[in-house]
Amino acid sequence: MTAEYRPPELPVPEWPDSISYDAVIIGAGPNGLIAGAYLAKAGMKVCVVERRYEIGGGLATEEILFPGHYSNPHAIYHMMVDYMPPMRDLGLDKHGLNFVSPNAQTAAVFDDGTSLLLCRMIEDTKDSIAKFSEKDSATFGRVMRKWRRLVQELVAPATYLPPVAPLDLIESMERTEIGRELLEITERSPVEIITETFESPKVQALLLYASCMWGLDPTDTGLGFMVPLLVDRTMNKAQCFGGSHRMAAALAREIVQNGGSVLDTAEVVDIRIEGGHVTGILMEDGKSIDAGIVMSSLDPQTTFLKLVGEEHLDTALSQSVKGWEWEKWSFCTTHAVLDGRPEYDTDDPWVNEAFMTVVGLSTPEDLLSFWDGVKAGRIGDRVIGHATCETIYDPTLSKVPGHEVGFLQIHAPYDIDGGWDTRTADVQELILNQWKKAAPNLDFLQAHTETPVDIERRIPNMKRGSIKHGDYNALQMGSFRPNEDCSSSRTPIEGLYVCGASTYPGGLIIGGPGYIAANVVAEDAGVDKWWKLPDYVARYRDTYMDLIDID
Amino acid sequence: MDSRYDFVIVGGGHNGMTLAAYLSKSGYSVCVLESRLEIGGAQENAEPRPGFRIDPHASVLYAGAAPGMEQLELWKYGYRMSYWSQYGMGLTSDNRAFMSGNRWTYKEAAETLRPFSERDADIWAGMMGFIFPHLKDILRSTFWTPPYPVDLDVEQKDLPWVKTWNEASGGALPASFFEGSLVDVADELFEFGGLKAMMGIGAWYSGAAPTWDGMAPQAMGSFLLNSYASGAPKGGMHTYAHAIARCAIAHGARVLVNCPVEEIVIQDGRARGVVLADGSAAAGKTIWADKAVVSAVDVQQTFENLVGPKHVGPGFMQNVKDISLKGGSLYVLHVVCRELPKFIGQAQEVVDQHGYPGSVLYPCDDWDSITKQMREVYSRKKTPTGPENIAPLPVLMPTTYDHTRAPDGYHVLSPIYIELPPPEYHVDGPEADNALKEQIKREMLDMLEGLAPNMTGDNIVEVYANTPRDSEFRNAGLVGGNWYATRHCEDQWWTQRPLPELSRYRTPVEDLYLCHQTSFPGGLCLMAVAYNLMHILIDDGKVEPADWWYPSPWHITDEGNRVPASQGGK
Repeated sequence: MTAEYRPPELPVPEWPDSISYDAVIIGAGPNGLIAGAYLAKAGMKVCVVERRYEIGGGLATEEILFPGHYSNPHAIYHMMVDYMPPMRDLGLDKHGLNFVSPNAQTAAVFDDGTSLLLCRMIEDTKDSIAKFSEKDSATFGRVMRKWRRLVQELVAPATYLPPVAPLDLIESMERTEIGRELLEITERSPVEIITETFESPKVQALLLYASCMWGLDPTDTGLGFMVPLLVDRTMNKAQCFGGSHRMAAALAREIVQNGGSVLDTAEVVDIRIEGGHVTGILMEDGKSIDAGIVMSSLDPQTTFLKLVGEEHLDTALSQSVKGWEWEKWSFCTTHAVLDGRPEYDTDDPWVNEAFMTVVGLSTPEDLLSFWDGVKAGRIGDRVIGHATCETIYDPTLSKVPGHEVGFLQIHAPYDIDGGWDTRTADVQELILNQWKKAAPNLDFLQAHTETPVDIERRIPNMKRGSIKHGDYNALQMGSFRPNEDCSSSRTPIEGLYVCGASTYPGGLIIGGPGYIAANVVAEDAGVDKWWKLPDYVARYRDTYMDLIDID
Repeated sequence: MDSRYDFVIVGGGHNGMTLAAYLSKSGYSVCVLESRLEIGGAQENAEPRPGFRIDPHASVLYAGAAPGMEQLELWKYGYRMSYWSQYGMGLTSDNRAFMSGNRWTYKEAAETLRPFSERDADIWAGMMGFIFPHLKDILRSTFWTPPYPVDLDVEQKDLPWVKTWNEASGGALPASFFEGSLVDVADELFEFGGLKAMMGIGAWYSGAAPTWDGMAPQAMGSFLLNSYASGAPKGGMHTYAHAIARCAIAHGARVLVNCPVEEIVIQDGRARGVVLADGSAAAGKTIWADKAVVSAVDVQQTFENLVGPKHVGPGFMQNVKDISLKGGSLYVLHVVCRELPKFIGQAQEVVDQHGYPGSVLYPCDDWDSITKQMREVYSRKKTPTGPENIAPLPVLMPTTYDHTRAPDGYHVLSPIYIELPPPEYHVDGPEADNALKEQIKREMLDMLEGLAPNMTGDNIVEVYANTPRDSEFRNAGLVGGNWYATRHCEDQWWTQRPLPELSRYRTPVEDLYLCHQTSFPGGLCLMAVAYNLMHILIDDGKVEPADWWYPSPWHITDEGNRVPASQGGK
């Protein structure tokens, strides 16, 4: 690195070397921005600082297929738009924020030319399932009615309230019938839930894919409540019109319009602590910001070991942070410019309109064996993954006439056999071949593959390609995310809060960590909470959390 | 969403956003409608490869002397600089080099000229020493002042900007300066062809070719604009756009992207608002403007598409159509590499002694270095190919001054450019440049390797390219793929830009104003078009100046008066 030159006097006025805010938020990803937007509107002077030149974190839209084609390298399937409190509280549509949630949601194209399509509308989904099993079709209708209730009444509202310790949660869930159903399903693994509920291997395979594609271990027990959530959500995804970055931009506009600041290209190197209380942050260029409140949306190791420093942690916290587990697999994504929309070689042309299409899928056993390989660092001679042609529902991503933009994404290990430097080219070929086999019309005008190593390089606290900042397993979820000391977003260090995907309830642009942290900080700082809990969240709190000290 | 504002601005590029910041900070309600996914226009960055940030377009800060830096208080919105240690390096075809220096290093830089010409080294140091203390006035009188009224009866020597240059130089500027080309002026001042070529290449790639008559002040000026702060916004040009946008938004501006405008609504000869196009993020809307509609879109699209020929006469439309798109259709290369170029021979010694410059200009031999390619591009209107035509070749090296632009152990050279004919003018048709895209890439890389033999093999990790044709699609306002939109030549400069009747930013349609680089003083992200337009909006009674506003002391109102009292004049 060449030493950077500073002239003896500055000809252009610049952001000051030292400045003071009420709160500094580290990381301008979805959660940092959501927290910032609520607190700025509450009258706090907030500054969100971001290492990258562009805000958004996983809410990224980048010109990967340069020039003139824009892709969403991280979040594209927005799964909680209909539940997320900030959407309504902040009125983000006034900034032109738009989501498209097509009926044709998640398809699978099988090698034998058949297809299955999960739609937003349940009867359409049942129609498709009935091609394989009348029984599964009927079961799906019955089960989804129950699962949607689980989501609406329990899982979704709990996403926007602080976590509850396991014993308290069990006690409160046992009060209602639906609560008891949740407890029952929680103790089963995704494979058990899916294979015991449905009989057709194809139906099983796609629902298992939908349940586990975001990192739930298919055979682990203890997180079974997420299966209804993820199956329901795979039928309710939305695409952010103009690219996922628009959501970050809308949140940032709220912050700035309410007197807050957003500072990009500003890597934080130190969280300053005096007498057990945070006093501010230091950035890599030597500039500092004083603040009595610091909120970190980064992963726990970066926050506590790198920025806070071990000397400020007690042994238990330090041990738990060091023991943080990254994710069991990451993603490898090949983005491509296509000369036309994919036309899948299959029995139902409606599949061509699906938001997401799984290719390479056959049976649950085959899927499990592919995932086992990935967990062991192997990608063999064929892949299973999901494809999306992004320009079907968002034509603004490419203005080049006749060019469509899409990607095929597979689960992939960070430590791949042979290393990504040597494997990227052949994995890309596998991916493109698999895609073309399913959709023979495809012609790839340009392609670029982003490996798990690339994910970490673009966004360093997605360590080892961990898109949710850390694994989803029973010991890292609920009140254990990131650990019992910090899952409420308060930490043992006064004035320091955590609010990223590594904090309860987790990642995937659900907005929970940022929203909960904003509530907690607003209470601690004694500022006016101008918002109120959505009715469906308040109802859950009143039914299940009345014994717990939550505002 | 609100549908009524004081001002509606079509286009959220650099100029539209700057005006939005000025107007909203002045207390007016403002709505900006941008058709692309992101605001900023030319102020953009891309990260096609994780961790590597390229400049697809503008790359350097020319706006150091802009009143907007102070008036809009961009520092409050995060503005920071990355400074070049040396302004730039001239490289000769026999592998020798010299530096041009900035206001703190020009004396040291002049010594690198001494081996080429004792006389030029002294003149360079003397000239820079003279200019820098007066530079803000020189630049503001030239760029940050509206063009004088086109019918003003005044001798050139009495024009405010001419007086400023003359006073600053103590009368040392040759007479050719105000009438001639950069070639005329540099030939009078200097003897070393390489120094002249460096100024010429720098000026050409800043929008004014050295042979264009009457453009010496602009050509010299663009070189000086660059020297004023000599560096780039930290993180890349898009962070400069962020600072401007956040100033506008903090003062209440509504900034909507993905909202292409279908037409400007004109009733009784007045612009009343705009209608959004199908598929815009805020579809189905007519957005009304109580005070004015401002088109921050190029002049041709403004009148041909947004206003429509029925509202202006055929004579006017012909003049709009005839505006020249030449003069900035750039083919741009972006190289991701492991090592910076290691130049051959004495050139590398200069680098080792003075540090890597922010940019390298090649070949700095003589005027032929430039005119050869100009002939290909402007006269023969063909894609220049072959080693003798594929120059000059300016190379920007952002990782030498901003470590955030690539991971440790890597560098980016971005942009590296050559000029091509605008696609519409190409004798072989608009797709001709794209057909040669790979060949040009190879030839540019060969030339780079010829200068720095390490620029080959494993050292080059990835190469990206965009052609003027590509730019037409990705940059909504870039007709012709011209970075300056329309030629910065005397026929289209000062009171002639873009046309005499449009030069004061007003249009034949009442309450419709222009705020794009097709108006004076053109491109380079100077925050100047908006600043200049503010004078006119104040003169027209559309805007009441706020207490932080200060006008250009050189502004001449329509009546030929100096600055009126309302603007702080005497």
